[in-house]
This record gives sequence, C-alpha cells and structure tokens, in this order.
Amino acid sequence: MNNAPVSPAGQINKTVWRIFFILLGMAFLFLIYPYIKTVVLVLLIAWLISMLLNPLVDYLESIGLKRSLAILIVVIIILGLVVLMVAALIPAVISAVESLSAKLNADMIKGLAVQLEQLFEKNLNNAALARDLIAKLQQLGTDMLMKIGFFLKNAGSYVAFVGIVPFVTFFMIKDKRLFKRMLISQVPNRYFELFLNVLHKVGDQVTRYIQGQAIDALIVGLLSVLGLFIINLVFDHPVPFFFFIGMLAGVANMIPYLGPVVGVVPAILLAILSSPANLGTVLIWIVVVFVLVQVIDNNLISPLVVSKSVNMHPITVVIAVVIGGNIGGVIGMLFAVPAWGIIKVTMKEVGWGLRNYKLR
Amino acid sequence: MRVLSSVPIFSDLDGKELIEVEKIVHRRKYKKGEPIFRMGDPGLGMYIIVEGAVEIIEELEDEDCKHLVDLEKGAFFGDLALLDEAPRSASAIAKVDCDIIGFFRPDLLDLLYRKPHLGIKILWSLAKVIGERLRKTNEQLSNLQREMKVCDE
Repeated sequence: MNNAPVSPAGQINKTVWRIFFILLGMAFLFLIYPYIKTVVLVLLIAWLISMLLNPLVDYLESIGLKRSLAILIVVIIILGLVVLMVAALIPAVISAVESLSAKLNADMIKGLAVQLEQLFEKNLNNAALARDLIAKLQQLGTDMLMKIGFFLKNAGSYVAFVGIVPFVTFFMIKDKRLFKRMLISQVPNRYFELFLNVLHKVGDQVTRYIQGQAIDALIVGLLSVLGLFIINLVFDHPVPFFFFIGMLAGVANMIPYLGPVVGVVPAILLAILSSPANLGTVLIWIVVVFVLVQVIDNNLISPLVVSKSVNMHPITVVIAVVIGGNIGGVIGMLFAVPAWGIIKVTMKEVGWGLRNYKLR
Repeated sequence: MRVLSSVPIFSDLDGKELIEVEKIVHRRKYKKGEPIFRMGDPGLGMYIIVEGAVEIIEELEDEDCKHLVDLEKGAFFGDLALLDEAPRSASAIAKVDCDIIGFFRPDLLDLLYRKPHLGIKILWSLAKVIGERLRKTNEQLSNLQREMKVCDE
C-alpha cells in the first residue's frame, strides 16, 4: 500500500472522506439488502460450514492429498449424509404432521373443547366464549400444521438454494487464504500488523467456538436420542420420531438457557398426543432424560468442547435471541448467540490490538 | 521467488515448496519514513526487503531515537517474532520507498498444520539462523569479558 506521510489537515480531510464513503456504502447495502438477502444467507451458511469442515480438509491435505481433492471428498461425504438424513426424515415428518393434524381435528380438540365449555359455563356463565376460543385455537393449530406440511412438501423448490451452498463452500475452503490476502492487501500500512493479528485471533477463536458448538450439539443430540430411545423401549414407544426430536434438541441446545426448553417441549407434546397408558410416568421420564442430558452437557461436554472466550450473561443471551428472532425468525434465534459471540470476540481482540499497537 | 530463496530460512526449499510459501506471504509497499513496525508492538513475523532500505532504530524514552543498523535489499528482519508474540525490541522505518515481503507467525502455524514437512523445514532453518546468531553473541560476550579482564589487570 502506498501511504505517504500527510499533514494533520490532510489526515483529517482523508478521515472525513473515509467516513463519508463508509456511510455511503452502508446506506447502499441497506437499500439493496432485500435483493441480496438470499445471497447473504448463502454466503453466511457456506462460511459456517467451511469453518466446520476446514480442519478435516487441512488434515487430509497434511497427509498428502491435494487441497481441491480433499475438499471434494469432505463435501461429497457430508452432502451424502445430509441427503440420506433428509430423504429419511421428510416423509416421516410429513406423515407425522398429517396425523397430528387429524388428531387435533378429532379427539384432542373435541375433548378439550368440552372441558373448557364446562369450565367457562361453571365459572363465567359464558359457554359461547369458550366455543369461540376453541374454534380460533383449532384454526390456528390447523393453519400452522398445514404450513409446515406445505413447506415440507415443497422442499424440492429449495433444492436450488441448497445446491448453491456446497458450491460456494467448496470455493470458500479452497481459496480461503486468497480471500484473506485480498482483504488484507486493502488495509493501510498503519493498521496492517494490527489488522492481521486481530483477524487471525478472531478467526481462531470463532472457528474454535463454532466447532465446539457443533460438537456439543451433536453429542447433546445423540444423548437425547439415546434417552428417548430407552423410554420408547421401556414404555412401548410413547415418543414417535425420537431421533428427529433428539437431534432437534441438540441443535436447539446452541441457544443457551432457552434451547433445552425447545428440546423438551416437542417430546412432551408428542407423548401427550400418542396418549400412552402411563402418561404421567412417561412425562416425568422425558423431563428426567432432558435434565440429565443438561447436567452431563454443563458439567462434562460443554467445559471440554465449547470455548470459554464467548461466555455470556443470561440477560445478554435473552436479548440476543429476542433481537435475532425479530430479524430472522427461528433461524435468526439460532444464529443470534453465535453472531453475538463473534461480535464479542471481535470487540475484545480489537480492544487488545488498540491497546498494544502504537498506531502512528 | 528469487528473493525468497536468498533468505536463509527458505534457502533449503525446492521450487514447489517456494511456490507454497509465496502463496502465504504478503507483499507491501512503504513510502520513505513510514514505519513498518514500532518498538513495543506485539511481534507478528519477519520482513524481507525486495527493494529499498530499512533503518532499525531504538526508540528512547525522551522521544529520541538511537540508530542501530541499516538494512539493504535482500536483508531480513523481525524473524524472532515468528516464534512468539514478545514485543518488538526495535522499530523498523523505511529509509527510502520500499518493496517488502512479510511472512507471519499465523501463516507459519497454518503451514505447519497443513504441510508439516514444509513447515518443519522452515522451522529447522529458523532454528539454525537463531542458533548461529546465539553462537556469535556468545563469542562477542566472551571476547568482551576477556577484554574487560585484561583491562582490570
């Protein structure tokens, strides 16, 4: 970079212009965001996947494979596993949603409606209000389930979107160093070492954090699956789709404090809907399984695999999840904590850099 | 590539290995008087002068500087920072307009993980360079001690 020493007035002028262009760039991005939303999402997902797969690719490269071949092998294996899982899961979930839909229309709601009507008549002398409430709830439930069914039945239309992700991921892993060098080459000499050092430290911590979260989610998911599998063995299959529910609990576990609740609720709902003879005992055991998984996770798995550098206060987590939910729904909630983790690590390292480097 | 192969740390590498190193180094241009790094900054890596000259100075407390050495085209400096993040012991300032190659610790660590054979070769050469420097320092220290002894007598 050509950075000639300039006068203080020139320096201020330069800074003002820089700020102006940055603001202009931000305004431009804000304007075009609705049109590039999908691209941003693809890049974000590909970046996260590339962080997870990079160590595996690096390992294959270290034993003598060419980087492109190593990426190809890893991406094909992962893609194959995902396709197999989705192919097995989608028909099962569609049939579950349909059967739940039917159940809600039939026995459950009717039974609940009679009970509510009696309650309202007895206490408020207004059975019509109860009927109105039930009708609305029934409509809401059916609508939601129909939407899920519609989403899953039209999964084919998302294939194009999903197909792009491995393609982008391939190049993100292959040309990772090239992209990094291109970015660094734009940094003025004054901030060059600071930027390089902070970029490396942030990258290192974020990678460790994301990999730790993924391993933690996988172990929590498998433990939940195992617990629900044992319940199914002992109590004559009260929890259908236990594998899906268990893995969902693993993924939801990435949202601290709130995730475990997200995991246990579907299991309880499904158990209630399948109405086994000993429902009370089954429900207690479901709660015991998830509490036990949490105890194992908090005391054994998490301290070993999840980086401590992004420890967060519960209030921060709740605020991050609420904001994430407002921005991007469930996906936003899931990404909120890692995103805040990345921001926190970046701020910490930038602060360290500014304290330790003499910026002339 | 010729510049890289002239540096002792890379002198044992073959053409293919030099191409790998070339992919991870950073080429920068500095104007006359521009600092490359400052004394006290966390060490990050070494620099090789492709074109120009660099002045190494010690920054004193009263905003004064002590000139240590001038380095010309082909010379390298800051190589100890490849090993740890200890603060730079001196500042490096471009004496004229310079074209410089930077090779940094994070990239060396990454190379060690991805291509251990190549990484070890570079580390081995670095150890030899540092060992040689230590030997020279020891010799100078012994000579100095001998001279002091003679003076005392």
